[in-house]
Amino acid sequence: MKRNNVIIILGLFSFFGLAMNLTFKPTPIKIEYPSSWPKPVYNFDNNPLTQEGIDLGRKLFYDPILSIDGSISCSNCHLSYTAFTHVDHPLSHGVNDSIGIRNSPALMNLAWHNSFMWDGAVNHLDVQALAPISHPAEMDEDINNIIRKLIGHSTYRESFYKAFQDSTITGEHLLKAISQFELTLISCNSKYDSVMLKTQVFSMQEERGYELFKKDCSSCHAEPFFTNNQFENNGLPINPILLDLGRYNITKKKTDSLKFKVPTLRNIEFSYPYMHDGRFKSISEVLNHYTNNIKVSNTLSNKLKSEIKLTSNQKVDLTAFLLTLTDKKFLFNKDFSFPLDKYYPDVEKKKKTD
Amino acid sequence: MKLFLFILINLININIYHYQNNDQLYVKIIPLFDNNPIQLSKANKDSISIETLKFYLTDFCLIKSGEVVWKEVNSYHLIDISKPTSLDIFFTNEVKVDFDEIQFLLGTDSLTNVSGAIGGDLDPTKGMYWAWNSGYINFKLEGKQNSKPFQFHIGGYASPYPTVQKIRLKTKKNLNIAFNVADFLNQLNLVNQNKIMSPGKEAQELSEILSSLFYINEKE
Ligand code: HEC
Ligand code: HEC
Repeated sequence: MKRNNVIIILGLFSFFGLAMNLTFKPTPIKIEYPSSWPKPVYNFDNNPLTQEGIDLGRKLFYDPILSIDGSISCSNCHLSYTAFTHVDHPLSHGVNDSIGIRNSPALMNLAWHNSFMWDGAVNHLDVQALAPISHPAEMDEDINNIIRKLIGHSTYRESFYKAFQDSTITGEHLLKAISQFELTLISCNSKYDSVMLKTQVFSMQEERGYELFKKDCSSCHAEPFFTNNQFENNGLPINPILLDLGRYNITKKKTDSLKFKVPTLRNIEFSYPYMHDGRFKSISEVLNHYTNNIKVSNTLSNKLKSEIKLTSNQKVDLTAFLLTLTDKKFLFNKDFSFPLDKYYPDVEKKKKTD
Repeated sequence: MKLFLFILINLININIYHYQNNDQLYVKIIPLFDNNPIQLSKANKDSISIETLKFYLTDFCLIKSGEVVWKEVNSYHLIDISKPTSLDIFFTNEVKVDFDEIQFLLGTDSLTNVSGAIGGDLDPTKGMYWAWNSGYINFKLEGKQNSKPFQFHIGGYASPYPTVQKIRLKTKKNLNIAFNVADFLNQLNLVNQNKIMSPGKEAQELSEILSSLFYINEKE
């Protein structure tokens, strides 16, 4: 009898041992982008994309569980239909209706960024989410507390296990999952992109606008990302209330005063209001700034030292070109929007059977 | 059933025995206030009480006649005096080398600071990461003097003010490494200098002072 028991128990042990070894294998995913683009800056070896990781990141991105009072998710300030920015709000709104000091930037092609935030305060996509999570005017939450809430949640442990083969939820995996979703936000299907691939052509007006753009703008808003990822002073007068010195806040170098990261212009049609403090509501206000209102200061970019001159017709042409950067496939991509099926699987299942 | 329990207990025993008996090399960190072990939140001399003391020791290696003879891989250790087990640094693989110096870094190197989310002792849940100016806090000391708080969060990896410091100590066997917090606080004037929360020149100067305070404790 005794011996039988031992055998059974040993058998069970080896069975569980085997079961543990045959862990769930996630589905690897490769991001797709035009062959003419450079290699991403993001090191995917340290965080290989998987469908399970991306799904988890997307769910987290839309989940107010990340904020202290459960009222705000990343998507409150970064809406998929507006290139992941916050329309109509020059400055971002957080928990308790507190107002931040900056305009939320559009999120796309983040795998090619080498710094984040208007002043480059964040040096890697993975650690970016720590900033909004802990900012009192944004989500005002502590990462350890978020992890406690996620552990108590009915589905997150399983999702973390599927994504990382580890049901212990760690800060590392939480951040890497959010990155995985963000890394899939690639905008490369605008009319401009089709023209570059020679599958479409610009109108005459767009073509004229493109020439003006290359002459006056692309030194900073460099193709194909429409940013050179540098910090520049583009001649905006300092905001008298916010007194934001931009890059200087991070480096404490006088030569960095009033410099901000050059933002992408992809999907610019949808990402208003514009500039770090959202001071301009329309593209025409932006163009008027560049032609009439450049404020000369010690750190003004050399690229703007000679005046930009545009007739009103040329402004119309330039605007027509900027509108070719709109990527409807990106803006209305179902894989990026609120994951209804992840929150209400039953409703979705019912819909399908109905 | 009894047989099974017997086997199980033996297995556990063997493991513990193995753990203690092999002459596994380990470093013992001894944080002191003057000559006494630090007691958290209790007033020491000069009415100073320590509430938090956490720092990174990384990149351990052993040196013989000026040459590195052994290097720990993935060498990251968060020392936290509120967690006594963190004061004993066990090296995962067996080390059987002759050495005459031990070398390590106080803090984290710049590559670590730009590598995104990392797990283990470097996990951002450890409270040693700056969210609004990316990078690790290499050394954190918080407490009170006469109920007036002081807070030293020392970090920063970028030039011209990197705060990671290399420490090299002569020793042939003894790996009890002591560090006297009072020696640090005595070099400051806590009335004027009681808070640092960002990278820069001051952080770098303080990190230099800190790195000079580690020594091999001959007593044990
Ligand atoms: C209350 C509004 C708000 C919330 C909530 C918010 N963000 Fe942001 N986000 C901003 C603002 C404002 C900035 C720019 C901050 C700065 O430059 O200082 C920003 C910047 C970013 C950037 C950097 C983009 C770039 O090009 O540099 C990323 C990535 C980002 N947010 C992702 C997230 C994620 C992920 C979450 C959820 C964990 C989140 N945000 C939650 C407002 C918000
Ligand atoms: C010297 C570099 C430089 C040049 C040249 C330049 N820009 Fe900019 N641009 C910037 C910077 C920097 C910002 C962000 C400034 C801020 O918010 O403080 C910006 C912001 C913008 C924005 C707002 C984007 C957003 O999402 O908020 C638009 C639109 C824009 N520029 C269009 C143009 C156009 C059109 C031209 C050519 C006429 C041009 N820029 C030339 C550096 C430049």
